Amino acid sequence: MTITGIAGEAEAGHISVRGLTKRYGDLTVFSKIDLTVRAREIVALVGPSGCGKTTLLRCIDGLLPADGEISIDGKRVTEPPEGVAVVFQHFGLFPWKTVYDNVAYGLRMAGVDAAEIARRVPNFIGLVGLTGFEKAYPYQMSGGMQQRCGLARALAIEPSVLLMDEPFAAVDAQTREILQFELLRIWERRPTTMVFVTHSIEEAVLMGDRVVVLQGRPSHIDQDIDIDLPRPRSRETLSDPRFAELRERVWANLMNEARRAEFQLGA
Amino acid sequence: MTDAALAPDRPTMLPRLYAGAAIVVLWELVVRGFAPSYVATPFGIAMALPRVLADATFLKATAITLGAVAEGLVIALAIGTVLGLLIGRSLVADRALRHYVNACYAVPMIVVLPLVSLWFGYTGAARLATIVFAASFSIAVNVADGARAVPRDYLEVAHSFRSSEGRALFEIVLPASMPYFLAGLRLAAGRALIAAVVAEFFTAIPGLGYFILYNSRVFRHNDAFVAVLLLGGFGVGFDALVNYATRRYLPWYRRADGDN
Ligand SMILES: Nc1ncnc2c1ncn2[C@@H]1O[C@H](COP(=O)(O)OP(=O)(O)OP(=O)(O)O)[C@@H](O)[C@H]1O
Ligand SMILES: [Mg+2]
Repeated sequence: MTITGIAGEAEAGHISVRGLTKRYGDLTVFSKIDLTVRAREIVALVGPSGCGKTTLLRCIDGLLPADGEISIDGKRVTEPPEGVAVVFQHFGLFPWKTVYDNVAYGLRMAGVDAAEIARRVPNFIGLVGLTGFEKAYPYQMSGGMQQRCGLARALAIEPSVLLMDEPFAAVDAQTREILQFELLRIWERRPTTMVFVTHSIEEAVLMGDRVVVLQGRPSHIDQDIDIDLPRPRSRETLSDPRFAELRERVWANLMNEARRAEFQLGA
Repeated sequence: MTDAALAPDRPTMLPRLYAGAAIVVLWELVVRGFAPSYVATPFGIAMALPRVLADATFLKATAITLGAVAEGLVIALAIGTVLGLLIGRSLVADRALRHYVNACYAVPMIVVLPLVSLWFGYTGAARLATIVFAASFSIAVNVADGARAVPRDYLEVAHSFRSSEGRALFEIVLPASMPYFLAGLRLAAGRALIAAVVAEFFTAIPGLGYFILYNSRVFRHNDAFVAVLLLGGFGVGFDALVNYATRRYLPWYRRADGDN
């Protein structure tokens, strides 16, 4: 099996979520979620803290059981599928491995041969700007650097589906911007399906083909907003009047909910 | 944690030296004043040291005992690690084995000596079996604790990258339990040393334990004490070795602990 082969296939990376409900004991995190992500589409997932974004990503990766049905490319997800990579909110780096070995981990697990690993790993380390830190351990790096290392590990297996849980939450504003455009560039070169969780509305609108708003208690998909900004997106996109318009729309949406919640608390 | 905490620094060395000197002087005075002449004194030991260190019997005994301890530790490492990982990660293995392993850990290894010497005779094999028995379970108990305490996040990442359970056991659980493993190894080394010496006392097979026994019986207590000191030195040395290896090969371990 070659991982590169998967991306070559037409329409790889189609995600379908049907009637998904997740409960933890008495707590229903979300109920009856329906979500379709077409191949090579970027869906930005936003919503208040604790609404179940991470939980939803876990379910899509087959890490958590839930009621309902999830399939990727028509295959029902019951365990982590091939060709799906996750960038974890908690980074999930192994403290006993160097940057190099952390990035190589996914490739080793996929059975990629040593020569190919040696060729690919430095590329992806360079891509996230960690060249020179190959031998560093996670404890020697800032949170932002650790997050970029986790990003490189996920990108390195050249997945057809990338599930990203606030991948830029721990990086500073400048690095964040650099990485956003870098990720867009990577996507242009090799479009993959992405589900992208973020707390930044700007980021959601900049990256996404759609912005999906998850909220309520238990949460559900409250809004599914098409972002019809042209691609390739770049710094100019940020000054597009349409960008500002869409950003306001998503913002108003989330704010309404926040006010409703406040009102309920006050009552 | 800083490097100062890893290496002994001056302020902690001084009290150690004073205490050592006080013990030596007190020992010398008490023995000279109140004990028969064959009882070991620091001065007598110092005088005996060059002769004993050049003695072929002593050197051979040292090689035999330390060789047996090393061999036993390697076997115990394998048994203890596998047992510990099983108990720590498999509910079935935990239910089936936990109490037996804890019992074996608690039982003084001396009680198995009469049994193993029946099975293996008064041979090096009996000593090796005693060492393995004494050392395996402290590793198993510690590795099991470590394996249970592995953060779920790590296992989730492994699972997400489609690692098999078996691979995750050795590539994730084992390195993540390294601090526990090292604690177990230190305990095991001490217990292995005791086991070796006690086995030699009991079975009278050649080795440092027997060297001590024999020299005590012929009232050469100073000679016997050189071997005692060597055993003590071995314990300290092994600890230092583990410390050094930790710093050199597991640099992440203390730092990662200190940060989170
Ligand atoms: N293992 C678990 N057991 C019980 N409840 C859980 C568990 N994991 C998550 N939850 C609960 O599920 C809800 C959703 O959690 P989740 O981590 O998916 O939120 P999130 O949207 O990712 O939040 P954030 O934006 O803060 O990352 C929370 O209320 C949380 O307390
Ligand atoms: Mg989350």
